[in-house]
Amino acid sequence: MSSRAARSENVAGWLFVLPAAALIGLFGIVPIGWSLLLSFQHNDLLAAPQWIGLDNYRQLADDPVFRDSIRRTLVYTALFVPLSVFGALGIALLLDAKIRFIRFYRLAVFVPVATSTVATGIIFNWLLEPTYGIANYLAGKVGLGPYGFLQDPDQALYAIVAMTVWGWLGFDVIIYLAALQGIPEELVEAARLDGAGRFRIFRHVVLPLLSPATLFLIVWSTINALQVFDEIYVTTLGGPLQATTVLVYYLFDQAFHLFHGGYAAAIAYVLFLMTLVVSLVQLWLGNRTVHYSS
Amino acid sequence: MNRPLVLLAVTLAALLPAGCGDSGSSGSGGTVDVVMWHGYVDIEGDALAAAAKKFNASHPKIHVKLQNYGNADNALQKVLTGIRGGSYPDIAYLYGSWAANIAESPKTVDLKPLIDADSSIDWEDFWPAERGAVTVGDKIIGVPALVDNLALVYNKQLFQAAGVAEPTADWTWDDFRSAAKALTDASQKQFGWAYVADASEDTVWRFDALLWQAGGDILTADGSQAAFNSDAGVKAATLLQQMATVDKSVYLDNGSGNYANLFNSGKIAMLFTGPWDLSGFPDVEYGVQVLPADQNHQTISGPDQWVLFDNGSERRDAAWEFLKWFTSSEQAMAFSLATGDLPIRASQTDLPDYPKYVAKYPGIDMFVKNQANAEKARPVLATYNEISQAMGQALQAVLLGKAEPKQALDQAAQQVDQILSQGS
Repeated sequence: MSSRAARSENVAGWLFVLPAAALIGLFGIVPIGWSLLLSFQHNDLLAAPQWIGLDNYRQLADDPVFRDSIRRTLVYTALFVPLSVFGALGIALLLDAKIRFIRFYRLAVFVPVATSTVATGIIFNWLLEPTYGIANYLAGKVGLGPYGFLQDPDQALYAIVAMTVWGWLGFDVIIYLAALQGIPEELVEAARLDGAGRFRIFRHVVLPLLSPATLFLIVWSTINALQVFDEIYVTTLGGPLQATTVLVYYLFDQAFHLFHGGYAAAIAYVLFLMTLVVSLVQLWLGNRTVHYSS
Repeated sequence: MNRPLVLLAVTLAALLPAGCGDSGSSGSGGTVDVVMWHGYVDIEGDALAAAAKKFNASHPKIHVKLQNYGNADNALQKVLTGIRGGSYPDIAYLYGSWAANIAESPKTVDLKPLIDADSSIDWEDFWPAERGAVTVGDKIIGVPALVDNLALVYNKQLFQAAGVAEPTADWTWDDFRSAAKALTDASQKQFGWAYVADASEDTVWRFDALLWQAGGDILTADGSQAAFNSDAGVKAATLLQQMATVDKSVYLDNGSGNYANLFNSGKIAMLFTGPWDLSGFPDVEYGVQVLPADQNHQTISGPDQWVLFDNGSERRDAAWEFLKWFTSSEQAMAFSLATGDLPIRASQTDLPDYPKYVAKYPGIDMFVKNQANAEKARPVLATYNEISQAMGQALQAVLLGKAEPKQALDQAAQQVDQILSQGS
């Protein structure tokens, strides 16, 4: 290819990505840079900002609510990721069968993902309402409860885990279903001819071939879980007694209720570093164990 | 967890009105455009549009443009974003609790000189609670837009069914507590009272009324320290504790506003609420009474305001002209009559339309009378949200039975003292 043709192709290429790149730049890169500056300021988003160096970060180190919010975020993530990923694996295996109404079952599993978070939140608020909700009504029928659910400081975080796992399971299931259907039939057949039982086929053929999907889902779910916010905003508003004040909720509260813009930006950067470290560790561990079929 | 989308939507929502605001410069043909941001919808939106139309017709030199900014809860953020971007409204509807924050912005017009120079506005005619809410130091940062107060709203049928005498203007806390207990029926999932226990300002301001009734105050007179952990405060918080955790006569709302639906379904006998909720009770025959007393019957008023922002003297003068007209007694009465909002001026009660208004909105006259019980206002401080949050957490702990009143309030007071000593 002549260099002129290459150059004009280059230009065309840049033109094609320009709209997307401009959007990402405007709504992605610029805020990232701006919030870094913000994190070194005392900024109430009203009066002129003041430069205070690392004071925001120093203050974070002594903030018990911040420490608690990190602990809750980690607890949430440690529950959400395995429950949603391995729960989805089980359901995907069940749905990867040739039975009647299979399309209906797959649709049923996916519907919560397509439902808006706000609608989910309102529905769960009613289902889990301690006095009039259907969850306690059913629990009462079998002699359990009543539970406070979202309104009990000791249960709220777990109720949020249940609600979000329900809401996101379908997405993971779809990924696993696609991966399952990409497993070559001949590999399974060969294993069967070699005398492997169902469990050994699953353990030594299917599971390794699913590992790229598993790695993707674990990394993706972890990033999402560390940043959980919407479901909490529409149900508990971080309560009761801050039991569901996770990192992003605390950030939001600082920025938009208390107008501590700089402090909130510092929280965002701590969260960013946390996410980065966790993702890198996961990818590093993953690359040592994941099988990519060629 | 669709964060990127949510954030994008929030950003766009914040930017959109700002973008539209550009068109607010001086129009052609010598008319001045005034851009007004508000969150009114339905009946209130129609009433505001009608008022703007009427004004534009009678004032050919000024053209008022209304722009709805969506939910008023996020209005301050949107106005701030607009100011950052250099494109902001001339007038915006903003909550009273933001007064101190608003006063910090250099773009906010101080109305004090304008009011002093113009006796036609009759400033003293606005209720004291309204004037207190817009006064920040020696500045006046807005004109009252809406006023309300808390009164006791009760379901007459439930009182009759339980054989309990209806609340009177002489009711005490003890009368109230024992009535709530008598009106509670666990087997029917029926409660005597409801309390919003989401630790937000909704939780705090109902407590403020109780605190004032017991003779206490939120801060010390000089505003330097917390005072809500006084004996009066502990007494008020203990009332909440006893009713919620011992009598179990209180339905604790988690902030979703279920209490209004439940009251309308006859599951809750009494509420401390304001006139804005009345239209949500078509299915019950309700009565309205002043709040029960400890030492007095004080209530709390939550005024909101129209704030003027400086887009040059021409637009500022035009905006001021419109605000004076819109908040005059006659126009305010027309708005009240259309919407059921309380009169923002005392003189509205003398107007010929006032009896029509009282007849149209059952129970509203008690709220108008009750406005006289709104003697005190919450502190106007930029750190108020932090103070409210500390108090809200303490009250939530008490209501959920997780802390003793004295201990919880003392702890919150300690936090508030620290907030006050640091500034914002």
